[in-house]
Amino acid sequence: MDAVERENQDRQKRWAKEQKVGEGAYAVVYRGREFSTGRRVAIKKIKVGQFKDGLDMSAIREVKYLRELKHQNVIELLDVFSNKTNLNLVLEFLDSDLEMIIKDRSLVFLPADIKSWMAMTFRGLEFCHRNFILHRDLKPNNLLIASDGQLKIADFGLARDFADPGFKMTCQVITRWYRPPELLFGSRYYSSAVDIWSLGCIFAELMLRTPYLAGESDMDQLKTIFRALGTPTEQEWPGHTKLPDYVPVGQFPKTPLRDLFTAASADTLNLLSKCLLYEPRKRLSASEALQHPYFFAIPHPTHPSKLPKCTTQMAPRPLGEVDGNVDMVGSGPGVKAAAPNKGRLKRKITSPMDDPKTRSIARKLDFTKHVKSP
Amino acid sequence: MATKSNYGWLQGRTVRKGGHASSNSHTRSSTPQVQSTSTTIFGGGIKDPSGRTSEYFSMDDQCPVCKSDRYLNPKLRLLVSSCYHKMHVHFSVSPCESCIDRLFTLGPASCPNCDKILRKLAFSPQTFEDLGVEKEVAVRRRIAKEFNKRLEDFDDLRSYNDYLEEVEDIAFNLINNIDIPATEERIAAYKAANAALTTLNLQREEAEALALKEQEDLERREREARAAQLAQQEQQEREERQREERELIDKLETSQKDAHKIVAKSRIAAAKRSSARAASSSANSSLLGMSFGMDYAKLLKTRTTKVNNVPDEPHVPFLDDYYAYDDLYTVRAEGYDDIISEAVRRDREGIMRAGGYKVEEAWNRALLTAVAGLDAAPLSGLDEPNSLGDVDVVMESV
Repeated sequence: MDAVERENQDRQKRWAKEQKVGEGAYAVVYRGREFSTGRRVAIKKIKVGQFKDGLDMSAIREVKYLRELKHQNVIELLDVFSNKTNLNLVLEFLDSDLEMIIKDRSLVFLPADIKSWMAMTFRGLEFCHRNFILHRDLKPNNLLIASDGQLKIADFGLARDFADPGFKMTCQVITRWYRPPELLFGSRYYSSAVDIWSLGCIFAELMLRTPYLAGESDMDQLKTIFRALGTPTEQEWPGHTKLPDYVPVGQFPKTPLRDLFTAASADTLNLLSKCLLYEPRKRLSASEALQHPYFFAIPHPTHPSKLPKCTTQMAPRPLGEVDGNVDMVGSGPGVKAAAPNKGRLKRKITSPMDDPKTRSIARKLDFTKHVKSP
Repeated sequence: MATKSNYGWLQGRTVRKGGHASSNSHTRSSTPQVQSTSTTIFGGGIKDPSGRTSEYFSMDDQCPVCKSDRYLNPKLRLLVSSCYHKMHVHFSVSPCESCIDRLFTLGPASCPNCDKILRKLAFSPQTFEDLGVEKEVAVRRRIAKEFNKRLEDFDDLRSYNDYLEEVEDIAFNLINNIDIPATEERIAAYKAANAALTTLNLQREEAEALALKEQEDLERREREARAAQLAQQEQQEREERQREERELIDKLETSQKDAHKIVAKSRIAAAKRSSARAASSSANSSLLGMSFGMDYAKLLKTRTTKVNNVPDEPHVPFLDDYYAYDDLYTVRAEGYDDIISEAVRRDREGIMRAGGYKVEEAWNRALLTAVAGLDAAPLSGLDEPNSLGDVDVVMESV
């Protein structure tokens, strides 16, 4: 037995696998414990061998970036070990995610609660950006909530570091509803501003309690965005017509955000509008956002321990979502299109998405109405 | 804790129910290990709160082997075998040399009723008249030691209930001799899988027991303190009264004033003093009571504040001091003329600009990574093979 194997085994012995929580295309997630402390962890076993390149890309990304990032608002990767041909990631155990909280209609959000969540998200994101890492899949589903109320950014399966000048990146990232227009127009050169757009969408979703820009297809997504925020002009967003996949989607007038977010304060709308600016270079950076007057205004952000919490147990999630970005459920837009295995679709039944109670509420926003209203 | 209690076991003396307490001294003190040992599988006997074992005792007792009974031999002592067959669970003291001693002088022998191999050490005193109860208690005690998970170790009530059901299953099997090897296997498997948690819970139990004991101690001390205070008060009062009387007599002796007036005056003063004392003592006692109640209240309060009363603090943009440091460089506002970013700077169609690519971010990153390590001390200890960064080892294996 060589040193590596031995080290590997020593590592494995520190963690106890307990119960399977879910399975997806790329990984099986177990609930576990650290032997020495009894601390609860999640062990993500990545299946190896079924991909022609060996390891799944998202697993490599996840290890690569989470190994480097340690922050209160970023999920902690505690350990990595391999077992036979499998790769195991030991992650911090977190009970719920923001999506469940948004959907739980028994919870009432105060403006201070939203402020607290946004501050924690921006802090986590600022830390990623500070370390030159783009998350590229921010959505409520990937913002996990610890038992003490702390919000943690998870799922770095699509993350990458900032590209060197002139290097292309893929535009097939970020779940559709949270994808910024430059990616929808196929831009291969983009920046941290893509994550800020996602946060803008999440911010709006927290206030509306329903996805803000829910398009049914990539094309429809653009239309939805323009309906909500008006079609961008060349002045607002110079050069966007030259982007590779640019298509004119029609002219929509601008509607003031105030019409939809009737209860929001001026600061709130100011921050939201700056996160949802068309011109990516003008969008706020995470650190600028954290210094926005919105956060300093009264009410103070709620202390994390007092934030609304899900009362229901976390249902086993379809792991496509946990893992990478495959959305097999179909109730949200995915990045990788097809479900790899029909059998896995069964898991859908337990997905919180399909709870009929919440389903009826999580409706789509219709911006056409708002356009017509004065 | 387990070792401690076993130790206590060895120390604990046996009391017989039904009289003959004096016979204790006549039991063979040279063989205390017969009563219980740490190696005894089912332990033995049930201890009462004082740590002693009460043995079951009746006038009809009869040794099934030598047929000696209590009538002929009042010091007869019956022990239970680990297979719980009363038939042969006997042990009689002198005069008829112990049957167990006799049967097992040559080491372990098999039980005539069942084929189980018995050892002398595995015999234990009998506490309950019904041997079924005796066995159940022993089995449950053993099971409880291994299966000590708690509700908070489970994610939901259901899995906890499933666990309890499994434990009950195992206990039932052991008590009724159903599928013993399979059951033992189950126990062993569980033991192996949950060793860490079991010891952790054991420690927790110990800690709780300790905390409870401390609490009790505290209460006792408080009671004692109060009693002492009361006694002291009484003493003081008595002394004062005596002193007053003496004073009064002295005054009456020496003073020229009217005796009636002096008596009346001293009475008024005494009444004043006693009322003042009553007030102060009541204040005192309420203080004492409060100190105890206050502890409780404080405890409750800290517990609730944990949930509810944390004040919302004003927003702080960054919780770390990353931006408190000055950078060792400044990015030039007019940019850099480097080959790598040439394409971006030219960007004739403006697509990189429109897509939001920020070459400044790349410059910033390049400069930062170039200067970030300047202050760091050189690495040391790299020559030793086991000081390899653990990250690298894992990454290699991947």
